[in-house]
Amino acid sequence: MSVAVAGVGESGPALDDPRSIPEIVLEAVEEALQEARLGFDSVDAVVTASVDLLDGLTASNIAVTEVVGAVLKPETRIAADGLVAAIHGSCLVRAGAYETVLVVAHGKASLGPYWELTSWALDPIFLQPLGLDFLACAGLQARALAEDDAAAEQRWARIAAERRRAAAAHGVAPACTAEDVLASPAVASPLRRESCAPLADGATAIVLRAAGPAEPGVHLGGVGFDLSPHALGERELTEWDGLRRAWARALAVHGTRPTLDVAEPSCVFAYEEDLFRHALELDPGTEVSPGGGLFAGFVPVAAGLSRLAAVVRALRGPGGLRAGVAHGTWGPAGQGQAVAILEAA
Amino acid sequence: MILEGSVRLPFRYAAGTTASTFLEALRDEGRLLGSRCPACGTVLCPPRLDCRCGERATELVEVGPAGTLVSWTELPGRGAYGLVRPDGADTAFVHRLLDAPESLRGGMRVHARFAEERSGGIADLAGFEVAS
Repeated sequence: MSVAVAGVGESGPALDDPRSIPEIVLEAVEEALQEARLGFDSVDAVVTASVDLLDGLTASNIAVTEVVGAVLKPETRIAADGLVAAIHGSCLVRAGAYETVLVVAHGKASLGPYWELTSWALDPIFLQPLGLDFLACAGLQARALAEDDAAAEQRWARIAAERRRAAAAHGVAPACTAEDVLASPAVASPLRRESCAPLADGATAIVLRAAGPAEPGVHLGGVGFDLSPHALGERELTEWDGLRRAWARALAVHGTRPTLDVAEPSCVFAYEEDLFRHALELDPGTEVSPGGGLFAGFVPVAAGLSRLAAVVRALRGPGGLRAGVAHGTWGPAGQGQAVAILEAA
Repeated sequence: MILEGSVRLPFRYAAGTTASTFLEALRDEGRLLGSRCPACGTVLCPPRLDCRCGERATELVEVGPAGTLVSWTELPGRGAYGLVRPDGADTAFVHRLLDAPESLRGGMRVHARFAEERSGGIADLAGFEVAS
């Protein structure tokens, strides 16, 4: 049995969306169900992704229970990147437990001071008292890479500018040049303001359905995820070896190594693209983030699921693309890694 | 309509027996401790009971106060942070760097500077400075 992506829906990315979280989520869910030509009554189970800390309340899934149609249904909440929710949903379908599963992730960065909040996800004894946050952790990772690579900062500036240019038409930030990136103020050296994806509000929803392997549409293939040690000092900081392990698992599930036409990594910082390409040993022929990736707007938690939606749209498009990969990450400096292969049948 | 709110709640975090021993040595003796795993020999700093090899790292050993700067970053208005591997330890940890960022470079030798007034907590280590 195969798992097809029967519908995708998205709200945002938007800067400071004045609507409530349930309203933002509802728009994405309605779009996904409409695409799948299904109503709430056809959905057997729901998997949501949300993080209490970022929503400013506990049990943040309770706030969206009604709009995702989870009342009187089996619902699971994942407190990690939305792509992990999609992986969990696909496991439910593959196991034969449910035929149709709705997967929803949301994030509203405008709700609070995002980077400051990430400090609360760090160890309370050794790290929080120092005022460390995910931005500082990313700075430490980027510096470890740049230290022995004199061309790194220029290369990251070019990557950021390319993504921003591709995202300008539909994203939350205007296009900029590599020179603009290098001239922008440092936020956590060597990271500069414009080499970071702009924070945004939004939600992504997808409908997963049990399908025959040859049924036309986009199918979710091999999936994998991995967690590295929390402490940066217990990892090899100059690579995303967690992603390499996640990718190996995805390929093992998939059975073959597909020729990837498109890759949609969750890169909040331009330097992360180097780590992503390296971990997947990406072929130069694979197009990376044709729509600018998260540089169109980084919606925390929803980011990885939005990358999956982007791959689905690319595979459905007129280009005749056959296979792509979606990536999600969470935690400090890529501690958590998830990856999913998608194929057009 | 946007409604303002804030959350500020007091917590009492238990450091645990291993980290408490580390924090006591830091406060009372100005020493850095690591935990050594009897099975694989790995020395973890800050010390932890759970070694990744699956055994318990029960033996506490002194590490540092000198060490190697693995990486660093500077945040405007917030100073510099460094990832430092103390001599004798196999892992590095993040703390403050006390020197001007212009002088920093990965692989540099650094030295722990302990706070003059110590009251219990990771801030009893003021940070690391470039070894002279």
